[in-house]
Amino acid sequence: MIWKPSPLAVLGLAMISAPIVTQAKIYVSVEQAQKILFPNKALLKNPIIITGDLQDKMRAASSIRHPFQGDRIWKASDGGWLVIDEVVGKHEMITYAAAINPNGSIAGIEILKYVESYGYEVAEPQWRKQFIGKTVNDPIKLNQDIQNIGGATLSCKHLTDGVKRITVLYELALKNSASSATSTHMSTAK
Amino acid sequence: MIRCKPLLGTFVEISIKEDDGQEAIDNAFLAIQRVHDLMGFHNPKSELSRMNERAHLEAVEIHAWTAQVIQIAKEIHLASNGLFDCGIGHRLVEAGLLPRHITFTNHELGGIEDIHFLAPDLIKSTRPVCLDLGGIAKGYAVDMAVRVLLSEGISSGSVNAGGDLRVFGDTFLPIQIRNPESPEKLIDIGYLENGAIATSSLYFAKRDHQQSHIINPLAQNPSAIHAEVFGSYSVLAKECVYADALTKVLALSNNEHHPCFSYFSAQALRIV
Repeated sequence: MIWKPSPLAVLGLAMISAPIVTQAKIYVSVEQAQKILFPNKALLKNPIIITGDLQDKMRAASSIRHPFQGDRIWKASDGGWLVIDEVVGKHEMITYAAAINPNGSIAGIEILKYVESYGYEVAEPQWRKQFIGKTVNDPIKLNQDIQNIGGATLSCKHLTDGVKRITVLYELALKNSASSATSTHMSTAK
Repeated sequence: MIRCKPLLGTFVEISIKEDDGQEAIDNAFLAIQRVHDLMGFHNPKSELSRMNERAHLEAVEIHAWTAQVIQIAKEIHLASNGLFDCGIGHRLVEAGLLPRHITFTNHELGGIEDIHFLAPDLIKSTRPVCLDLGGIAKGYAVDMAVRVLLSEGISSGSVNAGGDLRVFGDTFLPIQIRNPESPEKLIDIGYLENGAIATSSLYFAKRDHQQSHIINPLAQNPSAIHAEVFGSYSVLAKECVYADALTKVLALSNNEHHPCFSYFSAQALRIV
């Protein structure tokens, strides 16, 4: 192990701390996430219009307040699904992809983007608004040099809620569409 | 290539020099998932839960990785004169920080010292235990992920499981630690090469109005069980499993010169 302490750390002087304010990390693109979660499988974009009723049910089951966007849903050739969603907490915003097996179980989760913010006074809708329409290619990589925080990361409770919401989406909206597609496929096979 | 997955109750980030190491990273994540499945307290079917349920009744067969973590936990327990003890699971259950799977009644619960090896993969406990490996398994998972990456031919990179971080190969990683007074600020502590660092602190617990998850196993009265520490406690070591476990020794002893650190060739860093 080689540790080269910063001079201030060695002297034990009052150390200068830099504010993060916003820390953004981009991990993988949508295309990369697709390849990681559905290797060698064709994905067909399958956006879904989320009705108010479905939105309410998903909110009730997951306690997530911000509405689900149904525009980033893909169907895999084997009957599985890929859903990209965001969770917004008081201090973090996470864009993630969830892969769903043909039987409805979660096959895997991949984080696309993690943004940590400490605008305590900023109300949630505004905090969210600044990222609307942004893609992984957009320059929101503030303080990109901050890569390695040795302290605790925010917990992933919000993400757990987000995944729960996706399982509700599957039960109420994707499942049936999956079976109809399978039967079409089967009749073709005959 | 850099990827991130939710595992071990936190976000695990794997970064490698190579651009095309997707399979290597997949396998490293699988190793972490395996540690999670074997040693998770939340899962009533994990090996850990089975040990807590059965080890005082009969010999329990365990995976080589679980056995290794138990061995290291016993070693650190001994070297720290009991300051590091995995036998505090019930304290975290009582505080609502861990789920309750087993109800212990009228039993004097034992600690890690009650676990005995009958064979390298077979353990038995002399008393009922409620072990929680949360203070050591994360570091071990990081080490296992690094081992997989190296065996897959990855030359250099890092694995960071919610602040339990290890860097390998010729990467020099700048390390920042959250300021315990205001965790949105970072303190630059220098560069790390071929080593690990882990940090314990209570800033998020305090912000979220949770009870302290740093348990003092030697507490004499109930008010001292949940250690109220105010600083940030980091340990640097060659392997992450030691860095992770030793942060508890540092937080509870509040002494960066505790003999335990030199014994494990570790360096303690206290920010108060």
